[in-house]
Amino acid sequence: MASKIYQWLDERLGFDDLYKGLLDRPEPRGTWWNTLGSATLFLFTIQVLTGIFLLVYYTPSPDHAYDSIQYIMNGVAFGWLIRGIHHWSATLMVLLVFLHMLRVFFTASYKFPRELTWMIGVLLLLTTLGMGLTGYLLPWNQRSYFATTVATEIAGLVPWAGPFITRTMRGGNDLSALTLSRFFAAHVWLLPLTLAALIGVHLYLIIRHGESEYPTEED
Amino acid sequence: MDEKFKQRVRERYQRALQHGERFWPDSIYKDLLVSLGLFILLVGLATFVGVKPEPKVDPSDTAYIPRPEWYFLFLFEFLKFIPGKLEWLGAIVVPSVAVAVLFLLPLIDRNPHRHYSKRVLAISVMGVIVVQMVMLTIMASVPAPAPEQTAIKTMQMLAGLAIPAITLILLFIFSTMAKDPAAQRKSLTATAGIAALAIVVLAGGSAIPLQRNAPPKEEVAVAGTIAEQVAQGEELYALNCVECHGADGDVTVIQGVEGLDGKVVTPISSKDVMYAFTDDTLFNIINDGLSELGMIPFGTANGGELSPGEIESIVAYMRYTWDDRMELPEEQRVGGIPSLAEGEVPSYDVHIEPLAKRYCVSCHRAGKENNNYLMTSYDEILNTGDDAPNVVAGDPNSILLQVIQGHTVQGVNGEIDVMPPNGKLLKDEYIDMFVRWVMAGMPQTAEDAAAAAPAP
Ligand code: HEC
Ligand code: HEC
Ligand code: HEM
Repeated sequence: MASKIYQWLDERLGFDDLYKGLLDRPEPRGTWWNTLGSATLFLFTIQVLTGIFLLVYYTPSPDHAYDSIQYIMNGVAFGWLIRGIHHWSATLMVLLVFLHMLRVFFTASYKFPRELTWMIGVLLLLTTLGMGLTGYLLPWNQRSYFATTVATEIAGLVPWAGPFITRTMRGGNDLSALTLSRFFAAHVWLLPLTLAALIGVHLYLIIRHGESEYPTEED
Repeated sequence: MDEKFKQRVRERYQRALQHGERFWPDSIYKDLLVSLGLFILLVGLATFVGVKPEPKVDPSDTAYIPRPEWYFLFLFEFLKFIPGKLEWLGAIVVPSVAVAVLFLLPLIDRNPHRHYSKRVLAISVMGVIVVQMVMLTIMASVPAPAPEQTAIKTMQMLAGLAIPAITLILLFIFSTMAKDPAAQRKSLTATAGIAALAIVVLAGGSAIPLQRNAPPKEEVAVAGTIAEQVAQGEELYALNCVECHGADGDVTVIQGVEGLDGKVVTPISSKDVMYAFTDDTLFNIINDGLSELGMIPFGTANGGELSPGEIESIVAYMRYTWDDRMELPEEQRVGGIPSLAEGEVPSYDVHIEPLAKRYCVSCHRAGKENNNYLMTSYDEILNTGDDAPNVVAGDPNSILLQVIQGHTVQGVNGEIDVMPPNGKLLKDEYIDMFVRWVMAGMPQTAEDAAAAAPAP
C-alpha cells in the first residue's frame, strides 16, 4: 500500500528525479571548510524562524519597542531563549559569512566558471551586514539609539548627496518613530526577501557548476 | 579566456569528480553535523551568556559613548586615524572602493591559476587586509589611549593605517618588478609576512598596556525583571521622594523641606492618585515636575538626575506597593528590611542601613537641610550632626532615639523636630530596631551584632 502511494506521488511530483538531481550528485573530495556555506544557510533559517516568533510580540514604536522586548525576556515562556538565539545567531552569521568568503577566496573558487556565484556572494555579505545594522536599532535602547545615530551620520558624509541619504534613512533630521518603522520594515521584509532571493540564485549556481575541487600543483 | 582554457578547466573538474565523494550522504553528513554543533552552541550562548540588558533610550544623555556592533568596530577604529576634514575619504570612499573591488574580483583577478603558490599576490594582499581588520577590531575593543600617550597612539596609527597601506603599495610594485616566478614568490611572501608580524606586534603591544590600565567597567544597573525594577524603584524613591512625600507616600503636609514647609500635598499612595493616574501620567509628573506646585522635574531631559528607565522603576515601585489592584508575587520580592527575632541584636549592615535608606537618607544626605546630620554611612550616623553625637552607645536618651519616639529636643540651632518630620512616626517595629541597636552599642557587622547579643 505504502509503495503504491509513493508511486502515485512520485509519478506526479518526481521525487526520484529530485533525488538524483539534487542529492545523489558526485562531488570533488571536500573538507570541513566546505561546510561554512551551509552553516550560514542554517543560521539564516534559524534567524527567520526565531524572527517570526519575536515578531509576534515586538511592537515597532518608540513608546513600546523597549517594553515589548522586556516582555519577551520576562513575560513570554522561553522568550529569553528565542531572543538569545536570534541575537547570537546574528553574530555568528556575520562571522561565518566572512569566513566562508575567505575560504572561497583562498581556494580560488571564484574563478571560471563561478564568477557570478562570487558576485552574488558579495551582495549576500552586504545584505547580511544590512540586517545587522537595521536589527541593532529595533530594541530601541541606549546602545542602539546612539549607534544608529552615528551610523546614519556616517552615511551623511557621502559627498553632495550625504545629507539627503541621512534624512532618508532617519525619515527626518533626527531619529524618530519614522526611523524605527523604516528600519523595522527593512529588517523584517525588504532585506530578508532580498537575502532569500539572492540565496536562491547562489544555490542554483552552486548546483549548476558543482562544488569546486581543491587546487593542486597543476592548477 | 579562450575556449581551450575553459575546456581544460572542465576536464580537470571531471577528473576531480572521478575520485570524489557523493553529495548525499558524504557532504550532507558533514553539513548536518556542523549545523547541529552550531545549534547546541547557540542554545548554550543564549542560556549562559544571554543578551546584555541595556537601559531605555535617553536622547538627552549626551555622555553616552556610542559603540557599533562588533563587526563594524574595525571601520570605527579605522576612522579614528583619519583627520576630521578627510573623514568622508575614510568613511565613504575607502569602503566603497573596497566593496567594488571585492565585487568585481573575478573580473579583476585575471590570473588563470588556482594553486596557492601561483597566486602569491592575491593571497598576500588579502592576508594583510584580514590581519589589519582583526587587529583594528582588537584595538577598538580596548580603551582608547589618552591624548598624552603619544607612543601608543603612534603604534596604533602604524598598525592600523600606515603599515597596511605601505605594504599594499609595495606588494604591487614588487609583483611587477620580479623577474621570475620564484623570486616574485619570495619577495612577496617576505613583505607580507614581515608586515603582518609588525601589525600584530604593534597593535597587540599597544592593546596590552591599555587593557591592563583600563578603569574597572562601571556596571549600569538595568532592572530586567519586574521584581528588580521594583527594588531599584524603592531605592530611588527613598532617595528622591521621601523628603516630601514620606516613605509610604502618605504625607499630607510637607515639613522640614526648605521652601515648602507647610505645603499641603495629596498623599500620593492614596487611591485618589493611584486610580486616577496612569503609568504614563505618573511618568510625566516625575519626568517634568509640577513647577507651579513646587515639585521639581527629575528627568535628565529636564536637567534632573533620573533616566527614563529609572523613572519607570519608581513608577513600578509605586504601583506594586500602593495600588491594591496590583500584586507582586511574594517570592519575587527582593531587598527590604529584615525583621528581628526575639532577643536578636540588629547590625548596621543588615538592618539599620536599609532602614535609614528607606526613611531618613532622602533628607539626611549632603545638600539638604538637616543640621549637617548625614546618614549615608556607618561613620556618618555615629559622628556627624550639629548636635553630634546623636547616638551614644547604651544611652536611651540619645537624640536620635528621642526624636524618632515623638519627643522634640533642644539642640544648638534651636528645637529639633520629631523625626521623620512629616507627622507620622516610624512603625513600632522600626523604632524598636533603632533602640535595640543603640542599646547594644551600635554594632556595625552581623558578627559584631551576634557578639553583642546576650548569651541565651
Ligand atoms: C521638593 C519636594 C518634592 C519632591 C522631592 C517630590 N515631590 Fe512630588 N510633589 C510635590 C508637590 C509640592 C506636589 C504637588 C502636590 C499637590 O498638588 O497635591 C507633588 C505632586 C506629586 C504627584 C501628583 C500628586 C497629585 O495629586 O497631583 C506625584 C505622583 C508625585 N508628586 C510623585 C513624586 C515622586 C515619585 C517623587 C520622587 C521622584 C516626588 N514626587 C518628589 C513635592 C515633591
Ligand atoms: C523630611 C526630611 C527629613 C526626614 C525624612 C528625616 N529628617 Fe531628621 N532632620 C531633618 C531636619 C530638617 C533636621 C534639622 C532639625 C529640624 O529642623 O528639626 C533634622 C534633624 C535630625 C536630627 C538631629 C541632628 C542634629 O545633629 O541636630 C536627628 C537625630 C534626625 N534628624 C534623625 C532622623 C532620623 C533617624 C530619620 C529617619 C527615621 C530622619 N531624621 C528623617 C529632616 C528630616
Ligand atoms: C547569506 C550568505 C551566504 C550563504 C547562505 C551562502 C551559501 C553557500 C553554500 C551553501 C555554498 C556551498 C557550500 C560551500 O562551498 O560552503 C556556497 C558556495 C559558494 N559561495 Fe556562498 N553563501 C553566502 C555568502 C557568500 C559570500 C559572502 C561569498 C563571497 C563573496 C560567497 C561565495 C561563494 C562561492 C564562490 C561559492 C562556490 C564555492 C565552491 O564552489 O567551492 N558566498 N555558498
